[in-house]
Amino acid sequence: MIKLTGIEKYFFAGTPNAIKALDSINLEIKQGDFITLIGSNGAGKSTLLKAIAGVINVDAGKIEIEGEDVTGQAEHVRARDIGRIDQDPMASTAAELSIEENLAMAYLRGQRRGLAKAVSTRRTAIFQEALQVIGLGLENRLKVPVGTLSGGQRQALALVMATIARPKLLLLDEHTAALDPNAAKLVMGITEQVVSGNKLTTIMITHNMEQAIRYGNRLIMMHRGRIILDFDASEKKDLTVPALVNKFTSTSGAVFDDDRVLLA
Amino acid sequence: MESVVTSALQQGLIFAFMALGVFLTFELLGFPDLTVEGTFPLGAAVTARAIIDGANPLLAVLMGALAGGLAGAATGLMHTRLKVNNILAGILTASAIYTVMLRTMGRPNIPLLANENIYGRISGWFNLTENSFSIIIILALITLLVRFLLGWFLNTDLGLAIRATGSNERMIRSLGVNTDNTKLLALIISNFLVGLSGALACQFQGFADVGMGIGVLVAAIASVIAGETIFGGNSLGRLLTGVILGSIVYRGLLALGLRLGLPAEDFKLITAVLVLLVLCLPSLKTTIFWQKDSIAKQPGLSAQPSDKTGREGDA
Ligand SMILES: Nc1ncnc2c1ncn2[C@@H]1O[C@H](COP(=O)(O)OP(=O)(O)O)[C@@H](O)[C@H]1O
Ligand SMILES: [Mg+2]
Repeated sequence: MIKLTGIEKYFFAGTPNAIKALDSINLEIKQGDFITLIGSNGAGKSTLLKAIAGVINVDAGKIEIEGEDVTGQAEHVRARDIGRIDQDPMASTAAELSIEENLAMAYLRGQRRGLAKAVSTRRTAIFQEALQVIGLGLENRLKVPVGTLSGGQRQALALVMATIARPKLLLLDEHTAALDPNAAKLVMGITEQVVSGNKLTTIMITHNMEQAIRYGNRLIMMHRGRIILDFDASEKKDLTVPALVNKFTSTSGAVFDDDRVLLA
Repeated sequence: MESVVTSALQQGLIFAFMALGVFLTFELLGFPDLTVEGTFPLGAAVTARAIIDGANPLLAVLMGALAGGLAGAATGLMHTRLKVNNILAGILTASAIYTVMLRTMGRPNIPLLANENIYGRISGWFNLTENSFSIIIILALITLLVRFLLGWFLNTDLGLAIRATGSNERMIRSLGVNTDNTKLLALIISNFLVGLSGALACQFQGFADVGMGIGVLVAAIASVIAGETIFGGNSLGRLLTGVILGSIVYRGLLALGLRLGLPAEDFKLITAVLVLLVLCLPSLKTTIFWQKDSIAKQPGLSAQPSDKTGREGDA
């Protein structure tokens, strides 16, 4: 359903500091796949998601969504198919606007925006229903500015916003990394619920190996801009953290250098 | 005292359109648009020229406002399509406008006292003679209309996209909005309002002058701040109304100052210092006035560059 062919991305090309952030990435994602993506710092995970979303342009290769070539498409055009959440809770919601206004914007993902009332009674009912699912009581606080919510609440709201218009693909970039452990756990639970409840095709970057193994039906590991490991559901089932670290070391010949991962 | 109140209402309502325009760009969009120093006299110049060419005063005022919208489009296109820095784009347009004004008017100043103006025309519809009372009523009605339209528009899907562009541009782009277009649209609407303000001022004063834009931006910012601080609340509707009332309060203070014998040439310095004080001393603001979080929360006018993060509550 989503197909990446020969993706390359350079930063500072032609200078002594040139970085090959993505190195011939080939990846085929099936409808309903929930992929966890892991890898050392600077492996190119975030760059990969940004390339798929069109936040950055790739230097070579092709990105297709359901057969359509979207490689050169602007981010705001591709947005109709792709929901995305960043690590920073401030990034995915608008602080000055209320919960219902944030949802109203997300509700029209990728559609023309005209002169219809953004928060109509009909839409409010839809928003309330979507918020009830995550069980934080936000459905009773629709008029509250999002800036007054906690980081965890904002990320939970961001999840509802990313999925309310049923995107074809959901991209999560360490979306729980900036939260305290309790909030992170809460948001992970909501993620699982939202993703499996809607059978959403998802890529989730995490620095937590245990999480990467527990969630999803496919696990991918990147190193230095390349995909070095790709486990399907059955291979993933019997995986353990030490086994994963060993596999990384033997495949990449490097030591897994993200201390956050080992401590997790 | 009566003259102070009359003056506050007349001037305050005329400049309220400009204050609303400035609120839209500086506060909601987070775009410090300096075009408006040129747009205001441009609205007056175009209106004056249209009047002496024999246009209906209503049409003349509309043309002044539309000329303002065009100026906003020029700045918007420069910034979004040619990637010119936002402040520089405004300065370039404002500077170019000076020539446009001189060409439009053919001279630096057009007196209009002999011509019928929009206030006389509308008063005539109701068999009233034009006086300061009828002028205030007419201005109040136009203000109400604009206030209502703006409030409605900013709560539509498109209006919300503009507000979101100011609040979190990255987010609204990831939701499929071309933020170049929302910025352009906001600049056009804002400068349309500023042009309207200039057009109505020209009709009120009975002349247009290339120099009448000097200092109007700081005055508009002062009005916005006064409105937000004194009347503002969390809701957009209250902020819009607050900006209009702020403009009246600000003009009232100026009129009072004049009445008390303060020299008019000191006003711009006093205004600038007052604006600076309010922007830089949020603590002063919270103790002197009673509102806690009006402008500090908005993307635009706060002295701290980014309070966009909002506040953190408990989980
Ligand atoms: N905007 C950028 N400009 C320059 N270099 C970048 C940029 N974004 C990422 N990089 C570099 O590309 C590499 C991959 O980064 P990233 O995708 O963020 O890694 P990860 O998310 O796996 O930790 C790193 O070496 C990083 O420094
Ligand atoms: Mg990253």
